[in-house]
Amino acid sequence: MSSTPPSSPDPKRFEVSKGTLWLDRAMTQLIRVGGLAVILAVFGIFFFIVKEILPLFTSAEVEAEKVVETPGGEALVLGVDEWGEKPFLYRGDGEVVVVDMESGERQVLPVPSLEGVEVTAVAYDAVKRRVAVGLADGRVGSFLVNYETEFDDEGERTIVPVVEPEPWFEVSLGDGPVTALSYGDGGSSRMIVVSRETGLAALRLGQKRALIGKPKLTLKDTTDLGALFDAGVTSVVASQNGEAALVAGDDGEVRYFQVENGEIVLKQTFEPFEGEAPVRMDYVFGGVSVAMTDRAGEQKVFSLFRPEGSSERLFGQTKEFDEVGEGTSIFAPSLRNKSFLTGGGGKLSVRHLTSGATRWEGEAEFEPVAATIDGKSEHFFLAGGSGQIQRFHFDDPHPEAGWRAFFGKVWYEGGEEPVYQWQSTGGSDDFEPKLSLVPLIIGSLKGTFYALLFSVPVALLAAVFSAAFLPHDMKRVVKPAMEIMASLPSVVLGFLAGLWLAPLIEDKVPSILLLCLSLPVAALIVGRVWSLQPMQVRQKFEGGREWMVLVPVLLLAGWVAWSLGPVLEGIFFVYNDPATGREIADFRLWWPQATGLSFDQRNSLVVGFMMGFAVIPVIFTIAEDALSNVPKTLTAAASALGASRWQVVWSIIVPVASPGIFSALMIGFGRAVGETMIVVMATGNTPVTEWNIFSGMRTLSANIAVELPEAAPGSTHYRTLFLGALVLFMLTFILNSVAEVMRQRLREKNKLV
Amino acid sequence: MTRDDFIAVENFSFFYGEKQALHDIDMAIPERRVTALIGPSGCGKSTLLRNMNRMNDLIEGVRHRGDIRLNGHSLYDPKVEVISLRKRVGMVFQKYNPFAKTVYENVVFSLRVAGRNRKRELDEVVERSLRSAALWDEVKDRLHDSAFGLSGGQQQRLCIARAIANQPEILLMDEPCAALDPTATLKIESLIRELKEQFTIVIVTHNMEQATRCSDRTAFLYMGRLIEYGDTKQVFENPREEETEAYISGRFS
Repeated sequence: MSSTPPSSPDPKRFEVSKGTLWLDRAMTQLIRVGGLAVILAVFGIFFFIVKEILPLFTSAEVEAEKVVETPGGEALVLGVDEWGEKPFLYRGDGEVVVVDMESGERQVLPVPSLEGVEVTAVAYDAVKRRVAVGLADGRVGSFLVNYETEFDDEGERTIVPVVEPEPWFEVSLGDGPVTALSYGDGGSSRMIVVSRETGLAALRLGQKRALIGKPKLTLKDTTDLGALFDAGVTSVVASQNGEAALVAGDDGEVRYFQVENGEIVLKQTFEPFEGEAPVRMDYVFGGVSVAMTDRAGEQKVFSLFRPEGSSERLFGQTKEFDEVGEGTSIFAPSLRNKSFLTGGGGKLSVRHLTSGATRWEGEAEFEPVAATIDGKSEHFFLAGGSGQIQRFHFDDPHPEAGWRAFFGKVWYEGGEEPVYQWQSTGGSDDFEPKLSLVPLIIGSLKGTFYALLFSVPVALLAAVFSAAFLPHDMKRVVKPAMEIMASLPSVVLGFLAGLWLAPLIEDKVPSILLLCLSLPVAALIVGRVWSLQPMQVRQKFEGGREWMVLVPVLLLAGWVAWSLGPVLEGIFFVYNDPATGREIADFRLWWPQATGLSFDQRNSLVVGFMMGFAVIPVIFTIAEDALSNVPKTLTAAASALGASRWQVVWSIIVPVASPGIFSALMIGFGRAVGETMIVVMATGNTPVTEWNIFSGMRTLSANIAVELPEAAPGSTHYRTLFLGALVLFMLTFILNSVAEVMRQRLREKNKLV
Repeated sequence: MTRDDFIAVENFSFFYGEKQALHDIDMAIPERRVTALIGPSGCGKSTLLRNMNRMNDLIEGVRHRGDIRLNGHSLYDPKVEVISLRKRVGMVFQKYNPFAKTVYENVVFSLRVAGRNRKRELDEVVERSLRSAALWDEVKDRLHDSAFGLSGGQQQRLCIARAIANQPEILLMDEPCAALDPTATLKIESLIRELKEQFTIVIVTHNMEQATRCSDRTAFLYMGRLIEYGDTKQVFENPREEETEAYISGRFS
């Protein structure tokens, strides 16, 4: 007997190779880093967005500089250059005093035309920097204070103030010295409203073009407004377009005059304060709204708009502000936006017309008699009774922002009531941005709603069919085909929606309505008829091939519905042309007439179809996986207990797969909410606040895509777009969180051991 | 009076695609007896069992030759509705598979899908079925708790209760104890012996002792053919065929 000696075992057999250990640790770290990076990236995006929008919610910052004294008595007019460096004072005499705020130097500029006259009334227009003066002898005139910039060899800027006199005009009506006046300059049409001791006149000026030199201003006509007026005048203001004027009487009534067909007519009489006449009427930048302040310091803003049922633009109260404070009231409009500086008796406040918000409040060191804001809205100036001037550094980059502006109803200039509106940019400098996010949120939800309305039933039923009924060989074709559908670029879908589908179904709405009705009905009828067939017939299409019977019937039903559309239109959707009395069978005309809602070619129906098309594969794929992953042992058990295929699906497969189906819906929702290209191309991008299926929409995402390239970085508009992004982010974030909780609950309820 | 050929398998062959799984099986299964199908893995015993309620229809690409008759009626008669057939033939699976529902709802599932929802009837069925499955005393206080809270053996007995709730004529059991521990197995076996008073039971098993303990008749299948079929006692103590003897004495499995 021979036995081989037992070979001694390899002593290293329990060791783990260094390489294995190293790789294991390295991969663990790499995965950890990757995971953290993802979390950091999400938070990074979040913080970036928050950082961009935070400045929107800060209030104005004001920093007072030291007071500069200019001896010579009380100022009537305070004006300033574009950069806020050299304010000027006018005291009703023959000179203008310019003060350099840096050095405190004073420069006296004589106004040649004012030599030897007695000024009794003064008015100042900060937009044109024009001082209008009325004289004791009843003449009126004006001069401009211009600032010319010069650059020396080193590029240093010097600002040189220049006084430019303008001609005098005789007021042929009334008697006595001028008590109040206002110069409205609309370029080619100008108006000076003059109130004398007795009499009230409107002078309309015209320009005569000369061959050489500047066009010459001439008096075109003088209209006696006193004939329409039987009270003492307390204040006058001419509109900035030179076509209208407001005159307040001591009876508390304000009269609104306007040029109509070459004549000045009284349009409207209204009482801004009960029994009390406004002591100040000042146009806010843009020339549409007038801020009225009464003796007690109450302040209201009246804007021109077309009241409901009226064909004329009249003044109506749109805003009421807190009291400015008693005493001499001041007012200075910003020349950049709808902010204005106001105050009374030493109190100061910066207010914004659109939002109605007070941006800043403070106390002046002396009681100001005049105020002005520079062209960049970076400084404002106060002039005191004894000739003091004080400059304030003013920083308020986003005055039009605020919770109310973004989420509340706002009464915009020219509107007849407070509305939610998005219109971020306009054609002119004095445009009032309308930054309500509500229409965009509604738009996002609307697009999503219609897309899901179409896609959820289709995708879920398709998923159930594919997972529980379709034979395997066909499923092998159908599923990848659906997944390819998901990879279609949305720009292609948007293109198809906007340029092919929208025109195609524009005049086929009745056909589509019939389709929505006929297809399910046809399917139900086929199901009923099929179940009555003997087994022998049914067996031929067993095992998920029944669709071969259904599809031809559906095609037929679809074709019938499509061709019956015009018939339906002819019966129910007849438009009655009010002009000619003719009856036209056209849904596009009938819908607005019957419901009062609009009909657009690129409407929610188109978006619903196309975005639904983009969402279907997403929901289908995930739901199908969830349904297919239900253990076969369960379905077999249910089948063995005599459940029909549908009963197996409904009572076993769907409950077990419900968390997955729920996830599919949520991911589909997320896809639809964030979808951009399709809505940009297929909706018309009108920011409307309505759920009408035949109108378009503008979604938060489309809004960002359309406007961000044109928004100036750092501007209110730019930051508001980021706010839109944050709203979108929060919308999906909150929804996904809620969905996750619900999904966990469903899973808990239907969990498998 | 019981029928000796309650389930009559007549010259039955079965194919998965090109692969023939059963070759010309002929056997008569008596009413209210336990018939065990034994044989090595892949011999076709489960296939034969699953043909008795046409569960194999759920698999694609299968076909058959010959016939199986239940109480004289062909399973493959075109007039036969598979759903109603399965109501007559209950089935218990190898791995216990209760639904993600309460104990109560699991038991009454077959009644619910048949549209029977009267509470009193359901309550009676639940008690009767659970008693028959020897589970009533253990779960009567938690009928409305999830079925997943039960132990493995209890879950399998619940599946048996579920299968007999609608009082089928036949109960097919596909290795019902394969996933259970010995104690639970013994409980199921004694249950099987009780249930044969009411049902015709066909059981597939790998466990020779189980076959001897609870079956009246035993069929030995090998390579898709029925090698031997007779009284359990005779098959195990005095097998006629050499292969049978080789198998039951453990020479191959």
